[in-house]
Amino acid sequence: MPDSPVLKVQDLKVTFATRQGPLRAVDGLSFDVAPKEVVGIVGESGSGKSVSMYSMLGLVRDANVSISGSVKFQGREILGLSDQEMQPIRGGEIGMIFQDPMTALTPVYTVGWQIIEQLRTHTDMTKAQARERAIELLGEVGIPDPRNRVDHYPHEFSGGMRQRVVIAMALSCNPKLLIADEPTTALDVTTQAQILDLMLKLQDTYNSSIVIITHDMGVIAEMAHKVVVMYAGRPAEIGPELDVVRNPRHPYTWGLLGAVPRVEARNDRLTTIRGNAVSPLEIPEGCAFADRCDYRMEICTKRPQLKGTSDHLDACWLSDEQRVSIRSKAAS
Amino acid sequence: MSNEILLKATDVVKTFSTRSKKFGRPHQSTAVNGVSLEIRRGETLGIVGESGCGKSTLARCLVQLLPTTSGSVVFEGTEISKLSRRTLRPLRRKMQLVFQDPYASLNPRRTVGDIVAEPLRINKFGTEEVIKERVRELFRTVGLDVNSLTRYPHEFSGGQRQRIGIARALALNPSLVVADEPVSALDVSVQAQVLNLMADLQEKLNLTYLFIAHDLGVVRHVSDRVGVMYLGEIVELGDADELYDRPMHPYTDALLSVVPELNDTDAPRRERIILKGDVPDPSDRPSGCSFHPRCPVATDRCKEEKPTLVEIRPGRSVACHYPKNAS
Repeated sequence: MPDSPVLKVQDLKVTFATRQGPLRAVDGLSFDVAPKEVVGIVGESGSGKSVSMYSMLGLVRDANVSISGSVKFQGREILGLSDQEMQPIRGGEIGMIFQDPMTALTPVYTVGWQIIEQLRTHTDMTKAQARERAIELLGEVGIPDPRNRVDHYPHEFSGGMRQRVVIAMALSCNPKLLIADEPTTALDVTTQAQILDLMLKLQDTYNSSIVIITHDMGVIAEMAHKVVVMYAGRPAEIGPELDVVRNPRHPYTWGLLGAVPRVEARNDRLTTIRGNAVSPLEIPEGCAFADRCDYRMEICTKRPQLKGTSDHLDACWLSDEQRVSIRSKAAS
Repeated sequence: MSNEILLKATDVVKTFSTRSKKFGRPHQSTAVNGVSLEIRRGETLGIVGESGCGKSTLARCLVQLLPTTSGSVVFEGTEISKLSRRTLRPLRRKMQLVFQDPYASLNPRRTVGDIVAEPLRINKFGTEEVIKERVRELFRTVGLDVNSLTRYPHEFSGGQRQRIGIARALALNPSLVVADEPVSALDVSVQAQVLNLMADLQEKLNLTYLFIAHDLGVVRHVSDRVGVMYLGEIVELGDADELYDRPMHPYTDALLSVVPELNDTDAPRRERIILKGDVPDPSDRPSGCSFHPRCPVATDRCKEEKPTLVEIRPGRSVACHYPKNAS
């Protein structure tokens, strides 16, 4: 895709000062999102995937946080903008979908009121126009009888329907970029399928790019063109979805993919990654994954940089030959 | 796995009385609607279904944590659904539970050693010395450090806490372990550790598992046989591989088709069947087949006539008028 990226993140670092010392929640994250591209950010809990998104939108308001690096949205630096400057961007040009649709909506207003409020903030529609548009949006996201449902409160909707309302809200101002943080984690699998399907359909209609944050490799495989695998606040591997899933390069990605119990076929034993995820307070200077890695070498006390061929990058000291022999051994 | 039947449930029904939104007229919500199943000694029976399908309620009824409304549950030859609490107690130690949330199921104010020792003390397992030795043995069995007995739950990670929960469940040498979503709160790499541990323990201690989960991949991985639940009923039951490879019920078929897959091979993907609408309210059950309003192959017959769970071939049952892959 030759177009200039919608979002360009460079060396994003988010550090919280705590009594126990600096907590490096995000440590050197870089990636691009091209127009109409779906980028998946995958990692386990505590890997920094959500906090990286929130911090670039100025939603991390902790007094002890320091954020550095660069985040360019449509060529404009948005890191460090004031609330006032961010306002037209957040909810306007960048839409957001959160994990829990019940907490993303306020329970004391009707869903129509909430969509209308957003439309009136970001556009110069009249109240009546905004209401019509809200009804139209609810219809578009597949809510039956939208003219009637627009005056209902969030608790009168089921979980899947609420998430549709949140999506309608996120799309209300025709955003260039949609950030979805675990949009289907709270939902059942049949509802998840409905929502993912809807997101792809709408992405096509609205021509927006999507950043989807999830812990589910399956969701990534269904949705994303590009994958960023995060571990301990750092990108472990970045590449096109098919390459990462079929030809993973980082030992952490190997473990992550091998640990997923599959629906298509049963394997006798799941691959495990030994130990527990490293505490963000105790991330080593060298490779963050070294303590859990089966292929640890002496050089791993030094931090590996992201490198690789063309668009498939990873941060690991293993040479190509070593990887090939490890993978062929593992396969046999 | 033997053919000995450890637990047999027949037509188990559990209804809850709720008050309707309209001025408190009480009405009945049927969470489990006539479930019959058998659990064989040494096997893992997986129960899979979406939230609200009644899988946890069923599990609680089977071990009599909840009284059943009607139906019978026979455990090791004893009808347990009509026993008093006192007469049930000696049987309880044979049926233990592992819970979903390792953060909520361990008392935060007691040391983990105490937590694991509690069932032993209640059941007068032996002297304090004997109990201590047993706790140490259990910690080694589940792969925890014996030196951490005096620590508190908050000092452990989610995966370690689930190991503590498993150690507690194993303390009294149960014959049946009911695991209700034991790994759904865990990250995938830790989830794999706990699943592998459960498999090892089953082999070593000849355990029987009733494994409840919503994750279809996890259920296939652990189960010998699988039951699929929808709206309080088992709609399909059979050998795990058989059921996953050749689902008969349209609900199972749809469920399996929409699980996000890794597409890491060139094998063609199942055609996705996206169901319309939501699961109906169990207090307002559709007529005929409970699934008919969402079913892609429903006919008029399904609206009127309720299909029963029938054995299509040995070990393979389905509740549908028009099962797929039946011949």
